[in-house]
Amino acid sequence: MLAVSLNAAVGRGAILLGVLTCIAGIAITIAGVRRHDQKALKSSIRYAYVVFFAALVAFLVMERALITRDFSLLYVQEHGSRDTPFLYNVTTLWSALEGSILLWILVLAGFIAAVARKFRARVGDELLAWAMVFMFAVGLFFFLLAFGPANPFVTGPVGVTDGPGPNPLLQNHILVLFHPPILYIGYVGFTVPFAFAMAALVTGRVGEGWLLETRRWTLYSWGFLTIGIILGSWWSYEVLGWGGVWVWDPVENASFLPWLTGTAYLHSVLVQERRGMLRVWNLSLVVATFSLTILGTFLTRSGVINSVHAFSEGSVGPWLLAFFAIVVLSSVILIGWRGERLRSPGSIDSPFSREGAFLANNVVFSIFAFVVLLGTVFPLVVEVLDDRRLVVGSPFFDRMTKPIGLTLLFLMAVAPVLPWRKASQEVLRDRLFWPAVCGVGALVFAVVTGSGGWAPLSAFALGGFAAGAALRQVALASRRQGWRGFVGRANGGMIVHLGVIVIAVALAASGAYTRSQEFVLEVGERVEFAGHSFEFEGLSLEADAVKTSVVAAVRIDDGPVYEPRRSKYVKQGMDIGTPSVKTGARHDIYLTLEGTVRPDDTTARIKVLIKPLILWLWIGGGLMALGTVLSAFPGSRRRPTAPVSDGLTEATRV
Amino acid sequence: MSERRSSVARTVAVGAIAVAVFFVALLVVAFNKDVTTTDTPLLMKPAPRVVSTTYDGEAFDLSRRRGSWVVLNFFNSTCVPCKREHPELVKFHETQSALGGTGAELYTIVNDDDEEAVRAFFEQQGGGWPIVRDDDASISVDFGVAKVPETWLISPTGVVAQRFTGQVTAELLGEAIASMSAEPAR
Amino acid sequence: MSSSSFNRAIKRWPSWLVLLVLTVVMLAIGIGRNSGPSTAEERIDAIAQRLACPTCDGESVYESRGSASQAIRQEIARQVAAGQASDDQIVAAIDDSYEADLRLVPDAEGLEAVIWIVPVVAAVLAIAVLAFVFRRWRDEGALVPTDDERSLVEKAMRDSESST
Repeated sequence: MLAVSLNAAVGRGAILLGVLTCIAGIAITIAGVRRHDQKALKSSIRYAYVVFFAALVAFLVMERALITRDFSLLYVQEHGSRDTPFLYNVTTLWSALEGSILLWILVLAGFIAAVARKFRARVGDELLAWAMVFMFAVGLFFFLLAFGPANPFVTGPVGVTDGPGPNPLLQNHILVLFHPPILYIGYVGFTVPFAFAMAALVTGRVGEGWLLETRRWTLYSWGFLTIGIILGSWWSYEVLGWGGVWVWDPVENASFLPWLTGTAYLHSVLVQERRGMLRVWNLSLVVATFSLTILGTFLTRSGVINSVHAFSEGSVGPWLLAFFAIVVLSSVILIGWRGERLRSPGSIDSPFSREGAFLANNVVFSIFAFVVLLGTVFPLVVEVLDDRRLVVGSPFFDRMTKPIGLTLLFLMAVAPVLPWRKASQEVLRDRLFWPAVCGVGALVFAVVTGSGGWAPLSAFALGGFAAGAALRQVALASRRQGWRGFVGRANGGMIVHLGVIVIAVALAASGAYTRSQEFVLEVGERVEFAGHSFEFEGLSLEADAVKTSVVAAVRIDDGPVYEPRRSKYVKQGMDIGTPSVKTGARHDIYLTLEGTVRPDDTTARIKVLIKPLILWLWIGGGLMALGTVLSAFPGSRRRPTAPVSDGLTEATRV
Repeated sequence: MSERRSSVARTVAVGAIAVAVFFVALLVVAFNKDVTTTDTPLLMKPAPRVVSTTYDGEAFDLSRRRGSWVVLNFFNSTCVPCKREHPELVKFHETQSALGGTGAELYTIVNDDDEEAVRAFFEQQGGGWPIVRDDDASISVDFGVAKVPETWLISPTGVVAQRFTGQVTAELLGEAIASMSAEPAR
Repeated sequence: MSSSSFNRAIKRWPSWLVLLVLTVVMLAIGIGRNSGPSTAEERIDAIAQRLACPTCDGESVYESRGSASQAIRQEIARQVAAGQASDDQIVAAIDDSYEADLRLVPDAEGLEAVIWIVPVVAAVLAIAVLAFVFRRWRDEGALVPTDDERSLVEKAMRDSESST
């Protein structure tokens, strides 16, 4: 017998309301566009608000159910628990499949309402109306998912009074509160430029209008996605115990792929705004970004790919795959249909120009995305064609992406100094001199302080080169414009570049120069390694309602005590090791407690990892976030060259 | 010139659609490969040595189970498909027990799991067959089990007859055994 | 933009030559340096990163804490301590001793070679197409001012300045 549940009824009702409102929104808006009915179009704005209301109600109902431990819901039975602390109870909502769809719906509905509100004055515009249609359509899909195969409001059997709680790995760090929502805002945010791009194709207004409307939306979404990915790396570093930040796991790749095409898109639109070129590229990139978010969702929720990260298998797979197929096929067909109008009036005069560099940038990022996608789905290909299980791991990705990363660093150095249209040798030599000095300086510094290896040294040299170019740009701008030299698209972009360079250098260093050693220590024993001393002070036991931990106390450099531990989660039965990290500007000291330990043991196996420059990964991330915010600031320089064309009218069509 | 360009554009568009269709088809096939008989180098070869103890404290040796069909189910209490297929295994076990001595024997193999959790699950969901420990993963590794659930059929002569990856049903197991032992379906 | 005479002077070709020489020298020193594993543990880590844990969902032995990967780690530690084999030999030995294919890097033969070949082919194709497209654009409308034209423009500008 299934429980009767108020929460389930209200939640399900809210989802149904969302479904119906999206359908109505689509119908009304299309009717309004067809019949030029202003009233109908105005009412579509209201439908957007209702959609948001429905999503909010569903989300809050589920949170309420989790917080009040309402075990009438199957979702709470399977993932909630009486003993989970309040914070982790709240985050349980997105720690499993059905709930994560609820979060997606909330963010998407938020964007739909925000777009409706922002553009409400121009609701009679055909472009905007069609954009709303597409946003409603995407919303409809996700509401249908939550109504059907991924229903979080299923009631469970009666009489259940407790549950196992969320996965232990999702219960021991506060980042679980930030990483998924921020990541989702980034992911879902790309729906907005996608909807506008599709609207542009449908209405035939494939000029620069849709780009300019959505510029800030795209920038912010990209910023959130960037921060979301970096927070995810930070989280795995702090929690997982093997000392790494990125492992090219399919779920990580699922978030990285749209970031790659999104970054290419952000750069490529500059060319279309300035010279009306690369239209097909931009449309393809924005469609690719959105499609990759759907594909990523499919890969991580359908069970086709092995990953420790993946959500448990549900039946959403076929739906997501079908949606992905529809999105890709309809986009390609639309782009092909409008092919004539997408022909650009100009051409690129020389590869040594800003346009040329951005075109090369598009190509490099596309290859990057292709390689990551290939590595992620290759196990599938082998399994289908050869009936064999294969794992493609980080060695493959590292080897393939190193040259691509170095190429991107080089482009980052050269592109900002390239003028539009054409560059002469003198100009290049003039502008690249001081950046080159920075690059060589960085190389000299690295070699003199003892670094080696072709990959890290190349990264340091090219990183210095690129940093020099970025700093040069900012210095010139601030000399000309004072504080305004730090804001605006170009200058904010340079600060983002600096953040990327810092991250690239930090990754190169920690990848190549990590040192590790494992010690079997007796209580009171002291060892030296890599210029630090470690004194093992003993084991202790900590227990609470959720877990029992054996804690090792290690004093570093006769200073504070750090406590790596092994915890056993009572309900789930999982045994998890938690590291303890001493952060420093030059390197992090990362301690883990290895093996099986009992609190009364007299020896412990402690592993010490010395990881260089890890702190700079997070600093680089902060720089990227800062640069994104600065970028959104309206700059004082004049509008870029007036868009070359805003859609061909009948009279001017060739 | 523009003729050539538009035909190039058309080719590119058709190519893009073809790639997309191929990719989606690949994913569809991969997705539907949920329960399959998967290949293994051990097929039709003697089963690896399995010597361990059960949760009841008894010794378990696969080679001494010759003479009847043996079904090995690799299980983990945190694995959702394993928990979903469990009722089917219960059904299968009941059918086989009813046949007495000629029925197939069912064993669950557990690696890297919490004993309490497994016991609790079996108590709740039913299942009166032995649970074999695989604490050092030697059994899983010898069979090459990377992802649970997996179900292996060992013939009465100790040869690996079939390997299922993914969720199984009682019917599937019964038919497999029947077709390979030339006896009426159970 | 505005460059002092020092700025202009230093950017001439001798400085670039100095930069080039410095780069080559530094690279020559640095690349040869041995920055490989310096402790036994680092060597074990490096080998463990090349092997997949046989009972995990695609994790490497280095990342996973399961019992199978612990067993493999112990085996790696044993072989490293024995000091006989190279990294490649240890990887091969452990891979052979397990039924499944544990190498995290696909082989360079058969179907698996595809994963190495396709990206390289794609990159080469992309560069070729880019080069072709750039050349065609350049041929379509290339205008490079000659020195005569340049001095003509300069003269005209000087004239207009002096007349205002």
